[in-house]
Amino acid sequence: MIDLLLFNATNGLIIGAFYALMAIGLSLILNLSNVINFAHGGFLVIGAYLSYSLTPYLGFWGALIVAPFLTAAIGFLVERLLIRRVYGRDPLYSLLLTFGLAFIIEDGTRQIWGALGKPTSIPAFLSKPLSYQFFFITGYRLFMVAIVVLAIAVLFVLLRYTRAGIRVRAGTLDLETVAALGINIRTLRSLNFAIGIFLAGLAGVLASGQLGLEPTMGDGLLMPSFIAIIVGGVGSLNGTLLGGLMIGVAAGLTAVVFPSASDAIMYVIMAIVLLVRPRGLLGEEGMLT
Amino acid sequence: MKKSIHSLTPDRRTILKGAAAVGALQIASPFVIPVWAADAVKIGIANPLTGTYAATGKNEQIGMQLAAEQINAKGGILGRKVELLFEDSTSGDAGTAVQKTRKLIERDRVNFLVGNVNSALAQAMAQVSNEKGVLHIVPGGHTDPITGKDCKWNVFRVCNTTRMEANAVSTLLFKTYGKKWHFITPDYAFGHTLYQGCEANLKKLGGTVTGNELTPLGITDFSAYLIKARAANPDVLVVLVQGNDMVNCLKQISQFGIDKQIHIAGTQQELEAVEAMPPEARVGVWMFEWYWKQAASQPGLDQFIAEIRKKSGGKVPTARTWFGYVTIHSYALACAKAKSIEAKTVAKALSDMELPPEVKLQPNKVFFRGGDHQLMLSAFIGQLNSKGDGDPENLFKVNSVVAGESIAPSIADTGCKMQMPA
Repeated sequence: MIDLLLFNATNGLIIGAFYALMAIGLSLILNLSNVINFAHGGFLVIGAYLSYSLTPYLGFWGALIVAPFLTAAIGFLVERLLIRRVYGRDPLYSLLLTFGLAFIIEDGTRQIWGALGKPTSIPAFLSKPLSYQFFFITGYRLFMVAIVVLAIAVLFVLLRYTRAGIRVRAGTLDLETVAALGINIRTLRSLNFAIGIFLAGLAGVLASGQLGLEPTMGDGLLMPSFIAIIVGGVGSLNGTLLGGLMIGVAAGLTAVVFPSASDAIMYVIMAIVLLVRPRGLLGEEGMLT
Repeated sequence: MKKSIHSLTPDRRTILKGAAAVGALQIASPFVIPVWAADAVKIGIANPLTGTYAATGKNEQIGMQLAAEQINAKGGILGRKVELLFEDSTSGDAGTAVQKTRKLIERDRVNFLVGNVNSALAQAMAQVSNEKGVLHIVPGGHTDPITGKDCKWNVFRVCNTTRMEANAVSTLLFKTYGKKWHFITPDYAFGHTLYQGCEANLKKLGGTVTGNELTPLGITDFSAYLIKARAANPDVLVVLVQGNDMVNCLKQISQFGIDKQIHIAGTQQELEAVEAMPPEARVGVWMFEWYWKQAASQPGLDQFIAEIRKKSGGKVPTARTWFGYVTIHSYALACAKAKSIEAKTVAKALSDMELPPEVKLQPNKVFFRGGDHQLMLSAFIGQLNSKGDGDPENLFKVNSVVAGESIAPSIADTGCKMQMPA
């Protein structure tokens, strides 16, 4: 039993790291642009399909690098053409817009790549367990965690030490003042949106190594990301990271004792956090009124 | 607080409400292909064209279209042209399915109703068709009650019941692979009845269940369940999830190397799912409800494969394509036999009607059992073929083709008390 719990806790951390990657992208966009991006799962799917189409030409590694950048480019265009028109309006507009966008992306990918799932393979040396006993720790899953850690580390460094990153952080706290200081917040928001979508694209490429690639693949991954943000606290990237890991571990542990509740446990945690600490675990009070 | 233009923020409640709405993503827009003509026999189809079951729904659609073309080329039904009216039922929203069914019956006045891939939606549609007295064939929803305790005079089914699926593989698995079974079961009607069937068979044979992992529909990560399953050390890991869940589960099983330690098996397997898996994940013993590559030659089979290839971008037919094909042909055959399109007369003609070789496309007798309106179709039992043995399209090695009659429970056991109207 102890073994089982330990196994599942470790396993939960692996899954949680993945949730966190997606949630941080969502969180970036939400913090600076106040847009709740329902199409985030759609961008994840775009990233996954792009890497599927690129793999024959670039190989697994080439596609892993190129696909997220292409996804980010699409995200950049979408922000320029659509998303920016709803800034400053009632949040309902951006909800409706991104909600519609999610449908368009889902059926768009179905039109382009077909409704039937696509077989995706990963390099053989990654698709093996590391040891007989710890069979659930495969090379690929470790690799996923490493990429997630790397991506998040790079992001945090960017946010802390680069001019643009500092502006993004400042904008999260008070966009009006940042604008008043002469910073072009239009460009800042486009860039920030593209980075968020880059993370979604990366998550998509990584996910397609483990999951079946089909147009609705992003749906099941979007919800945990939202919950990670709410649990961790809106406005705090550290909180989002913590939230993602927490629900991953909780879902893993619940699967040991009460498997059919392993999905529901995320909502239970969210409900408790909202009751006890409505701003989220690391959220700052008043970030979102 | 007055909000300035830059700090207009969504409040937490909006985020929560929005998050709740995300579940509705799979509900999609209406999609109609109207084909009109005077005096045609209209067939209304409410089946998934979007969402999780879009791929299977689409394949059923292709099969139906082929059948309708063939029927029209031979003079239609009783000299009247056949027209198909497709509606997107969505993959999981019973409300939409019922609304589309009512629209087909009340506004389009269809003579015959078809649907649904999703068992729950099929059941909801059957309520409506029964109330309206419209003949209805369920091409691909498997849960038992449709031709069991909820059977109706106007409702027939082409695909297997879950009990037939369980019966098809249980004895073979027990004899070949061992008596300790662990299950991974989707947590809804289809999974529950399928598990009950397997469990009952296993107990009868003297085996034991080491555990049953009930997994939420649409779950992406099976690792937690697989950790538990391996710890229980069973002889066989029986995977009952379907569709994309099946793809995810088998992909993870193969990456964890579990297929090298425990026998992997299951009941229903579909070509749509297998095609979406990488070669290394194509493992285990399964049952297909129909398979295109058959040992003995069947009249019309080669032509069927060739026609479907033309319609599906070169792909071979799947069991789903066959379901759609059989559904429309069965209706036309029954009308011809009854010399009428009146629902009750056609229903009587369809009861105990045997399918001709060019429609059944398989060995054994295939017929709609009169007592429960269930089609007695063969079960194709065999192993997944990871590389296709020289033919990349041949992903399943059929070991035996078992007659439907031999795996179906008796009518008394189905719980069906069929009452045909006078």
